[in-house]
Amino acid sequence: MTNNRGAGESDHEEVAGLIPWYVNSSLPDLERLKVDAHLAGCAACRAELFAEQQIFERINGAPAVEYMPAASLKRLQARLDIQQSPTPAMDASGSPAVGSSRVPKQGWKAASIAVMAISISLLLADRWVQFRGQQAAPNYRTVTNSPPRARDEVIRAVFAPTITLVDMQAILEEAQLRIVSGPTEAGVYSLAANSSRPVRASLALLRQHPAVRFAEQTREEPEPGDKP
Amino acid sequence: MTTLGKNSPKEHDSALLRAVAAGDRRALAELYLGYHRRLARFLSRFTPRYENIEEIINDTFMVVWQNANDFRNASLVSTWIIGIAYRTALKSFRSQKNHADMGSLDDHPEQTVDPTNETEVQDWLQHGLSSLPIEQRLTLELAYHMGHSLEEIAAITDCPVGTVKARMFHAREKLRRSLPALSGAAIESPARIG
Repeated sequence: MTNNRGAGESDHEEVAGLIPWYVNSSLPDLERLKVDAHLAGCAACRAELFAEQQIFERINGAPAVEYMPAASLKRLQARLDIQQSPTPAMDASGSPAVGSSRVPKQGWKAASIAVMAISISLLLADRWVQFRGQQAAPNYRTVTNSPPRARDEVIRAVFAPTITLVDMQAILEEAQLRIVSGPTEAGVYSLAANSSRPVRASLALLRQHPAVRFAEQTREEPEPGDKP
Repeated sequence: MTTLGKNSPKEHDSALLRAVAAGDRRALAELYLGYHRRLARFLSRFTPRYENIEEIINDTFMVVWQNANDFRNASLVSTWIIGIAYRTALKSFRSQKNHADMGSLDDHPEQTVDPTNETEVQDWLQHGLSSLPIEQRLTLELAYHMGHSLEEIAAITDCPVGTVKARMFHAREKLRRSLPALSGAAIESPARIG
């Protein structure tokens, strides 16, 4: 008697645990038949089943928003293009992984050496220019004059310090902009237009992105009715 | 788009993933388009912002691209991809702390819900779901929204079946407490079952 009750309770617990998958019709036949048999004699499980069906139907009946994937796919492809540059890859857990990129290791090595060589050259050139500048220019800076504006610059922007190169590139691509200079000491980038899209539209796109801390148009564009 | 013959969806996915492993970007695009709708609808249950949804989907397919070679047919391709999306989403939701910001049911103890008013019930259900710990919510949505079996959810979440059952049990307990209208209706209407 005790054993039978124990077996019944165990059966009840097992069936109660399977009810969500009975509701979504994914139980294998054998288990489904077992649940059917138990439900016939268990009012508590029937009530449980009813409550779960209510939740299931409402979750499935909720209106779904449809999204067009084409633009998102384009941005993924842009990321893949950028991935050719040496950036850390991610493993299946979504964490950065070493050595799992598709670029051959020897290619990485050569690319790293080239990047290092270019970096050293640029550093030396920069030091030389600074040294010459210090000799030629007065050792002060006025606060009323803006630093010279980069050619073609239409927008200045500051990005979140945590933004990755890939994310920045994706944002710029979406806004159809490119970096012409920067970042300055204050982290300001000068951006130029990559297309004939109105600068205001690119600016609006930048401003709505949470990773863009600041964006400002630096060159007025003519209104549609203005003379050239 | 890559055309890989007319075979079952599972075989088609496997063939596409093999092509992705070989570096075929058109196969990746086809796989992406095949999963985007399903993943976007699933993720939109957690966040209304499409940029978050797209970020999770694109991060998922970056991992698919980089790790396609590691797929060993231990599970279905769909389970593997949804498992990657699950981990990516989990990480994203944890970092955004969306759920903590949404408050808990205990913040509104005085509210009642009219079981005859469907909109009220829907709102309350959404509120109840939002109050669940993210692992429990994801488990419940994988079962009820995506229709996955117990074993599939165990594979997707990389957890033992017992853990999946326990998460679902706790989610149901909490929802039942938050949705007395549904539980009450259940007691009054047992005739609808069986």
